[in-house]
Amino acid sequence: MRRADIAGLVDDRPADGVFRVHADAFRSRQVFELEMATIFESGWCFAGLDCQVPKAHDFFTTRIGRQPVVVQRGADGVVRAFLNACRHKGALVCHLQRGNAKTHSCQYHGWAYDSSGANVGIKLLRQGEYTPAFHAESHDLHAARCEVYQGFIFVSLKQDVPPLREHLGGMATFLDLIAEQSPQGMEVLPGTVTYTYRANWKFQVENTGDVYHFTSTHPSYIDVLSGRKARDGAAADTTTYARFREKELVRGSMCFPAGHSAMWGSNPTPEARPLYESLDEVAARVGEARARWMLYVRNITVFPNVQFAENASLQMRVIRPLAPDLTEMTGYCLAAKGESPAARERRIRQYEEFFNPSGLATPDDTTAYEDCQAGMQAGRVDWHQGYMRGMAVVKSGGDRYAEELGIQPQTSAHGGFEMGDETIFHGPYRYWRDRLVAGA
Amino acid sequence: MSALLEASALLFAEAAALDERRWDDWLALFTEDCLYHVPAWRDETTPTSDPRTEVSIIHSAGRAQLAERVQRITGGRSVASLPPPRTAHVVSNVMLAEEGAEALRVKSVWASHVFNVKRQDQHVFFSRVEHQLVRQDGAWRIARRHALLLNDRLPTMLDVYSL
Repeated sequence: MRRADIAGLVDDRPADGVFRVHADAFRSRQVFELEMATIFESGWCFAGLDCQVPKAHDFFTTRIGRQPVVVQRGADGVVRAFLNACRHKGALVCHLQRGNAKTHSCQYHGWAYDSSGANVGIKLLRQGEYTPAFHAESHDLHAARCEVYQGFIFVSLKQDVPPLREHLGGMATFLDLIAEQSPQGMEVLPGTVTYTYRANWKFQVENTGDVYHFTSTHPSYIDVLSGRKARDGAAADTTTYARFREKELVRGSMCFPAGHSAMWGSNPTPEARPLYESLDEVAARVGEARARWMLYVRNITVFPNVQFAENASLQMRVIRPLAPDLTEMTGYCLAAKGESPAARERRIRQYEEFFNPSGLATPDDTTAYEDCQAGMQAGRVDWHQGYMRGMAVVKSGGDRYAEELGIQPQTSAHGGFEMGDETIFHGPYRYWRDRLVAGA
Repeated sequence: MSALLEASALLFAEAAALDERRWDDWLALFTEDCLYHVPAWRDETTPTSDPRTEVSIIHSAGRAQLAERVQRITGGRSVASLPPPRTAHVVSNVMLAEEGAEALRVKSVWASHVFNVKRQDQHVFFSRVEHQLVRQDGAWRIARRHALLLNDRLPTMLDVYSL
């Protein structure tokens, strides 16, 4: 694709009050290939959590873009990432989702690597009658760049990228609001659920920041909560959404450079959060403002592939695009270490009910994405009108809420729950466009 | 009739109620305080086992929670639940694991075929199921349904009719 064609997929004219995205961004195979090459395989992507590899030689396997990757803590305690492909014939050298291994031996021809990815054995090397040219090559697994912020592990297949902290910018504060909920840190609970949906990955990016859809996509979930309320009274107020229409709620958004975005909002039932029981400890440690923000609804996307949704519970979800119209998602339940058994159980039940693809809310989201993908085959609706709510109030830089957190977003907007801000999508698409144009 | 035949009849009745979308009949098979549980997987080989500390795919406690799911499936207010899929539940390998006068533990294997009419695609969910049955008012009822779903990479969604 030509650069002008790619740039033209985002109709970004703030002075005219217009922001639109072309349907080809969601349905074009060429755009998808470019996204994989220039965004997912040439920049920072989320890989996993530090607490998933607590001990020396612990590893997990994942994909960065389309490429198989091992993330492993070496004997020296350093977390590294390397391509899961033997240098001899390219076979996978690590076959498990997670585990502990001092070495990885390729089961095809027996080449072996240590837990830092260094080659430690080529079977029958001396007898191999190799040329000097062979010996001059590195036989180590290809290293990826790997950095950790607050326990969140990020990997870049391209070495020459800005440091992770610079890439995260103000979004780092939103990661702090997750990582610092317990003095002992966070843990990921056993039991992950993976699902696919037949639509573009960017629908998932959008949905997480989309306040506007909630009442029309999830009425069946709202009905369930209303039914419990009628049956059980105040005892039913066990989720963030139990009383979401009874109080005046603020909803806001912030966009950060590098495509990150955060939706946030006040929480009508903070006492339903597992965190509530330890609020005094949290406030003493991180300050009153950040403790309050930890109880807010916060749905964030660290572009391009990880989201943290803290509303009904706290979900980490990892996005893996497979094709323009096929995406794989994996959900993880995160929890503050050391919370009470009762809080922990409530957290898990809320998580399953809201976030699971077998729950009462997420299936309606993913089905809606599939309906969008199917509807986008309609050629006459190339430009969609789903990006302009909130444009009359969005401002450059931070608002007073960003000031509370001491961060400087690129744009910020806030209003009532019913404003349903859509300017939260502008930052991600601007960055997306710039990356694709630069990589074309 | 032998306990095995009675247990089998109940499992087949459950499958038929799901396939024929007779939801009230399906709910009536469960006890008031039933547990409907589908664990998630920790890794390739180990499912989660303690729902208090680990994540499940579905953990519905009590018939009232199952009724909430039925309401969502039939209420017309869930885009994921419409139009209804066509299903064929094949129940096999029924065995009695424990037998008592008032309680039975029954093992079976389910292959649940789901045709999504709207998308024109289909999927088979297969699971190893364990039912705990109790006798109430002279009839067997499901006190616990534990389905170990073996193919847990879910295509878009999963609900009780997929299991």
